[in-house]
Amino acid sequence: MNGASSYPGRPRTFKHPGRPNPVRIQSENSKKSRHVRLALQPGLSLFDAIVNSLAKINIENASLTILGGVFDNLDYCVAPPDPKKLSVIAYTKPIKAGKAYMVFGNATLGESMEGQPLVHCHAAIRTEDGEIKGGHILTQSCIIGSKAISALVTSLEGFKLVQSFDAETNIALLQPVRE
Amino acid sequence: MGEFRVIESGNMGRVAYARIAPNEDLVTGIEKLCLREGFDNAFVRGALGSLVDACLTNMDGNFTSIKGPAVEIVSLAGEVRTEDDGALVASLTGVVADPDGTIYGGAFVAGSNPICMTFEVTLEEWLPKI
Repeated sequence: MNGASSYPGRPRTFKHPGRPNPVRIQSENSKKSRHVRLALQPGLSLFDAIVNSLAKINIENASLTILGGVFDNLDYCVAPPDPKKLSVIAYTKPIKAGKAYMVFGNATLGESMEGQPLVHCHAAIRTEDGEIKGGHILTQSCIIGSKAISALVTSLEGFKLVQSFDAETNIALLQPVRE
Repeated sequence: MGEFRVIESGNMGRVAYARIAPNEDLVTGIEKLCLREGFDNAFVRGALGSLVDACLTNMDGNFTSIKGPAVEIVSLAGEVRTEDDGALVASLTGVVADPDGTIYGGAFVAGSNPICMTFEVTLEEWLPKI
């Protein structure tokens, strides 16, 4: 149950399907990263606006801050417990927010298991119905509205973010791999 | 470094990206990432992921618990500073969404925000001019 209390919640340690990797923090660093201000173009999907623009300047791995802006269509999903118990959680079917305002978003650009660009994005949004919601953004069906949306891009150099199967959680996750 | 200077000039240094694994704490996980990467001070550049449950501070000193799993992190801002005693302290604030998509905001309580599936974070090292 959600609510206020005078005592912070004791963390729950959840059991995942697979054996945990003893390395709990997988990290890499770039000595030199590029910073780019990107204008996400009207009419494009959020996925294409990020991937295609950055590919032109050879950025294939990056962290993005997406500033506020209007989408002609925005779809998202949330992550309740997995009814099939294959993982601790499973994403829901797409939830339609309609013509929506993205209040703030963060995204990661990397490479999928198939070797294609992958964008992982979470954001707070105001839906067409006026509700303030948040969740996992389905970037390929989110269409940018009539005004460009600014994003600050920090490129990741010297290593890649590659989606690979994680035995502990039983899902595919982005993980940093030194080039 | 413990004294809060009104203006602290400096430069951005290296950029670190990490994937932090399930059941690790969000706040101390970021502090440990700085230890691993040798960052004394850093700003959060980007972050997304999920928590088992979230715990945020209220203005009256109480805490708000948000039950998952999973509670999605949809916005996160913050910094890591090295204190006078040498300890690294991450101060993180943000917005989270519960399994219905309802959102909550506040400062994350260290030790009470266990990661659910994964947490991706990008830090930028901050190099103050001494």
